[in-house]
Amino acid sequence: MRGARFGLRQVVVGTCRYGLLLGCAIIIGYPVLWMVLQSFKSAAEMYANIWGMPQVILLENYARAVEMGMVRYILNSTVVAAGTVLCILVGASLAAYAFSKFAFVGNRALFFMFIFTLVVPMQAMIIPLYAVLVSLRLTNTYLALILPYAAAGLPVSIFLLRTFFDTIPRELEEAARIDGCSDFGAFWRVVLPISGPGLAAVAILQFVNAWNELVLALVAIRNPALRTIPLGLQIFVADQVEWGPVFASLSMATLPVIVVYVLMQRHFIRGLTAGAIKG
Amino acid sequence: MGAAVPQGLTTRRSARRTRLRPFLWLLPALVLFGVFRLYPLLFGLFLSLHKWDGMAPMVFIGLANFWEAMVEGPLFWQALAHNAIYAVGTVVGKNVLALALAVVLNAEFRGRAFFRTTLFMPVVMSLVVVGILWSWIYNYQFGLLNNLLQMVGLGAWRGAWLGSTTLSLYALIVVDVWKFFGYHMVIYLAGLQAIPPVLYEAAVIDGATAWRQFRHVTLPMLRAIVVVNVTISLMGAFNVFDLVYVMTRGGPNNATNVVVLEAYQQAFEFYKLGYGAAISVLLMLIVIALSVAQIRLMRGERAEEYN
Repeated sequence: MRGARFGLRQVVVGTCRYGLLLGCAIIIGYPVLWMVLQSFKSAAEMYANIWGMPQVILLENYARAVEMGMVRYILNSTVVAAGTVLCILVGASLAAYAFSKFAFVGNRALFFMFIFTLVVPMQAMIIPLYAVLVSLRLTNTYLALILPYAAAGLPVSIFLLRTFFDTIPRELEEAARIDGCSDFGAFWRVVLPISGPGLAAVAILQFVNAWNELVLALVAIRNPALRTIPLGLQIFVADQVEWGPVFASLSMATLPVIVVYVLMQRHFIRGLTAGAIKG
Repeated sequence: MGAAVPQGLTTRRSARRTRLRPFLWLLPALVLFGVFRLYPLLFGLFLSLHKWDGMAPMVFIGLANFWEAMVEGPLFWQALAHNAIYAVGTVVGKNVLALALAVVLNAEFRGRAFFRTTLFMPVVMSLVVVGILWSWIYNYQFGLLNNLLQMVGLGAWRGAWLGSTTLSLYALIVVDVWKFFGYHMVIYLAGLQAIPPVLYEAAVIDGATAWRQFRHVTLPMLRAIVVVNVTISLMGAFNVFDLVYVMTRGGPNNATNVVVLEAYQQAFEFYKLGYGAAISVLLMLIVIALSVAQIRLMRGERAEEYN
């Protein structure tokens, strides 16, 4: 059909499609672009020249953002997010493999126990979680964030990886075992190396979730030196500091995530949507 | 759901080893999950029956916290009503926009990947960043929105969006839709791509218009996906916190107070942790009831499809 006839209909459909998409792309894209543009403007220009390009590219706002602690916050968020991903990759891949390949009493029941808690997000249990962190003396440590984030990310990760492991043909592991591998050997040497896409989807999704989380950080971290990015940003704004540095901070917080997203879109979207679609 | 039938790897091994081994594999996940997910969940139920300021020993007070939330003060119901309005606004807004754009994107044309990438972008951004950014867009004097209205000659419509008791909740709904509709769009897109083209070919042969194809082929085939998207957005609406906390702190005059924020403030600003936990338990029950209803709906419809 395509290219066979270019009637009025096709032109109208095409115009409507591009019109609608372009409109939406501007509504989505412009505020993000604007955030970056504002970060290069002087305080005076931010108010006088709201829409346009900055007249000169000022880096002062970024210098101020660094002074206000952004580098520290980025470092903290990186440690927390990396720690979370590490815990999840270890815990979820082992558990998902067991759920996928072993017959044992309680396989289904345990699996559904993990899945069921997906309906109770972190926000809904923040108060008892805080009490647990206090009694374990974990508040004001990286672990106060890493361990709960990992626990919260486990169910969806186990779900995703189990689906992935289910597709790996049994013959591969049989062959490994004939060659003298143990269960773990087969998992470690044969299954994991071909599970890159599944592990990447889990890692990226959980990294970004940890990078962006606010509620738990609000209650578990009081020490300014341990603030994560969302916590730090939120405090800048509450303190009503100058806005130029705030825009610079927002850009610094967002750019890494957008770069990762654009480069690894496929994994990203798979991680974010697989649970929803297969569930 | 993928088949949970365990593979036959186990047949060659002794039954006993098979019974215990898997738990060794599950151990790290179970410990993490047990301590930081399952235990807090149960501890929350326990806490909701106590009076606790976070320091002094807890005092058992039965259902008094629930009584306080549901009978004495209006704040819980007011917050829940805000969540309900928020849910209607975001669920409808996200799903209509997402489905419409997914249908538009579900064709081959130049620039498709660019548009998909752009529309999904806010999903990966932090809610704190989005909240601060939109606080500025809504700023009365220097914000993009009022300046845009001024530019197109609608200066009279300029508003103090977040400062208004009537508008602020809707202003937040718009931001939530802006951030998340791309997520639902991608799920719809995956659903659309799973519809066999044969169905459309048959519809075309029968002379169906584009709208009738959408109504009688696309929508019925997407039913399960619609339920998933509605469930996810509904749960999001009842658990909303970050945007409200960053943009309005529940104000002005409690106009945007929502249940999670109410629980947070009671617990961590007024040191009524038991009361906050009780509010969270109520919310949890509501959310579970809603999700179960949705899943029932989906199950029922799936069964219908197979008949």
